[in-house]
Amino acid sequence: MELILSLLQQMCVYLVLAYMLSKTPVFLPLLNISNRLENKLNCYVIFSLFCIMGTYFGLQINDAIANTRAIGAVMGGIFGGPIVGFAVGFTGGIHRYTLGGFTDIACAISTTAEGVIGGVLHSYLIKRNKQEQLFNPSVVFSITLFAEIIQMFILLIVAKPFDQAYTLVSAIAAPMIIANSIGAALFMSILQDRKTIFEKYSATFSRRALNIAERSVGILNSGFNSKNAARIVRIVYEETNVGAVAITDTNKILAFVGIGDDHHKPDTPISSQCTLDAIEKNDIIYLNGKDNPYQCSISENCKLGSALIIPLRAGDKVVGTIKLYEPKRKLFSTINMSMAEGIAQLLSSQILYGDYQQQQMLLSQSEIKLLHAQVNPHFLFNALNTISAVIRKNPDKARELIQHLSHFFRSNLKQNIETVSLKEELAHVNAYLTIEKARFSDRLEVEMSISSELQDRKVPSFTLQPLVENAIKHGVSHMLEGGKVKIYSQCNDMGCEIIVEDNAGSYLEPRKDHKGLGMQIVSKRLSNYFGRDGELKTHVEKDQITRMSFIIPNEK
Amino acid sequence: MLTALVIDDEQLAREELANLLHDTNNIEVIDQASNAIEGLKKINALKPDVIFLDIQMPQISGIELLAMLDPDTMPMVVFVTAFDQYAIQAFEDNAFDYLLKPIEIKRLEKTVCRLVKQHNKQIETQDLSILAPASLEQVPCIGLNRIMIIPTRDIEYAFSDISGVHIRSADQIASSQLTLKVLEEKTDLLRCHRQYLINTKAIKEIKLLENGLAEIITRNDYPVPVSRRYLKSLKEKLGIV
Repeated sequence: MELILSLLQQMCVYLVLAYMLSKTPVFLPLLNISNRLENKLNCYVIFSLFCIMGTYFGLQINDAIANTRAIGAVMGGIFGGPIVGFAVGFTGGIHRYTLGGFTDIACAISTTAEGVIGGVLHSYLIKRNKQEQLFNPSVVFSITLFAEIIQMFILLIVAKPFDQAYTLVSAIAAPMIIANSIGAALFMSILQDRKTIFEKYSATFSRRALNIAERSVGILNSGFNSKNAARIVRIVYEETNVGAVAITDTNKILAFVGIGDDHHKPDTPISSQCTLDAIEKNDIIYLNGKDNPYQCSISENCKLGSALIIPLRAGDKVVGTIKLYEPKRKLFSTINMSMAEGIAQLLSSQILYGDYQQQQMLLSQSEIKLLHAQVNPHFLFNALNTISAVIRKNPDKARELIQHLSHFFRSNLKQNIETVSLKEELAHVNAYLTIEKARFSDRLEVEMSISSELQDRKVPSFTLQPLVENAIKHGVSHMLEGGKVKIYSQCNDMGCEIIVEDNAGSYLEPRKDHKGLGMQIVSKRLSNYFGRDGELKTHVEKDQITRMSFIIPNEK
Repeated sequence: MLTALVIDDEQLAREELANLLHDTNNIEVIDQASNAIEGLKKINALKPDVIFLDIQMPQISGIELLAMLDPDTMPMVVFVTAFDQYAIQAFEDNAFDYLLKPIEIKRLEKTVCRLVKQHNKQIETQDLSILAPASLEQVPCIGLNRIMIIPTRDIEYAFSDISGVHIRSADQIASSQLTLKVLEEKTDLLRCHRQYLINTKAIKEIKLLENGLAEIITRNDYPVPVSRRYLKSLKEKLGIV
């Protein structure tokens, strides 16, 4: 009985060491079964040490040692497989052999056997794809129990004289079997806990980070402003559980939520020097609340005691900060600190992307406006002149022309529409052509045949009409005898080509690879929408033909 | 009653203007032309008192047409345009009369009033040469049933005979409505004979003949006579002493 207690005591020392070691990074790789040599070596060294330690902590009994060496050997086998198990057991065994005594050989053999038993279990469970069972303390308990019983038999068989061995075994068998089994199980349990804690920590971290990312996605795309910032701080506040969260731009608070929101008001200028420093230096500032406390610059009674200020950047430029606060009674958790940096990065890239999108949008809007500006005044006044001539001869026809002119300008005024159906664009073209046909009388002939299947396909607005206008303005109107404009479609497996063709062949590209501004914008809008294959193609045969075309790709 | 020619490439625009002019009772529109070349021909043939000239027309603009008219027989000109910032600026700068489409009746009446005064020498006629391009890059010609625009550098020589002025290029002879005088003033063609202008860049050789006469052979082997009167100045221009 006394022996059991002292062995258990010994085991406790052993476990404390195990616990302490489990805190070091050395232990983490053990929890992932891997065949890498490095891992195996690591396993061998650690458990050989435990094995040797077990022998040293042992108690001298009758020229033998009652010990907890078995834990190291079995565990080595369980984690490292049969070869590592053998090596650990053999190392521990040789060490024991050098200490002498009548059981030296028996102990060496039995320790090696225990390592191999652990290893065999390892192989067995891996093969059965039940490797999680390796970390199960009761499995470890059973296998150690079994290994210790085997050890006792080996002692009886190998150690001479038999009588002395028998006396020894009957004294140490029970204590050693119990102590080693429990010890191994507890050892595994410690590692298991460690693993659980670690996984939980990672899982919590990932979950929170993912939550924030998912909830905040796209918010800042529509601009870095108070409204969007308020939504972001709410999300960060809820997910991190810090005392308070704020977002500022470079001179004022955009949003604030949490402790102290009675005096930290949005839309007030930044009062904290630290924030201004963070903006200016483009650097993270951390006021940890201990040697470096946060003191609210607005109210002395502010409960906030520590702050983390991280700049938000659009590219290289600081556009603001995100600030996390904790109250005086609480300190920042490291998880929130590293999370905050991640959040700042996430927001920064959103801001940048938002800026980019904004610019894209502005660009295409300004391009549409440019196209409007290009509505040829010459066309307008000539149209009016034509109509005033027609009024005299045929008032009904004049009224009709005015309708077409209105239609033309009305669709020109739909400024913000990015895409229209081909049908609508053709109606726009038609209104334009009706006026031009009246104006040029017999000098302009138009032939239009666009496949009816294409009518509902979307095209960027203001793409077809400029092509037709171009064909007249820079084509047919230069022909003394008049000319013809053809607008037609041609479909193949790739898609449908829309072609605008005149027989003047007088379109001059101002420079090589440089279309006129109007045509350039049309081309860009087409390729933005349809991809690179959709860009405008120009084919000119001098004095014969000018053909401009683009492809509407097949619907996927 | 003043006689007028309306030159505009749009039929309805011509009709409209002719109708409006008719209503003023002071102008008689004797004909219309649908482009500058036809216009030039009709100006030469009909000698109208005034032309109403559209600016944007195919191939040859109204302004270019001005350069093709003989200043001695130039009619009065009223420009008509729908929208042409640069031309309008030029008209404003030089106080030339112009009409904007659609044409306002009151404005037209003012113009007509002024034309009548000019015609009666009550006020001075404007000198339009300032507006006309100093040189012609191309010469409109009328061939058999077609109109050609010949770049001046492609002309080998120009000559006049009883049927008018003709232009010889590498591969054809075409008739022009421009006078030799206008061609001499507005192009690089040099006078070498009373009835001939030569493109100095097209000269292959000059054969000196008896009596101070000469003959030019052009790069396409066309002979061009050189009269005694012009040989000296031709030599000087070519740098041959």
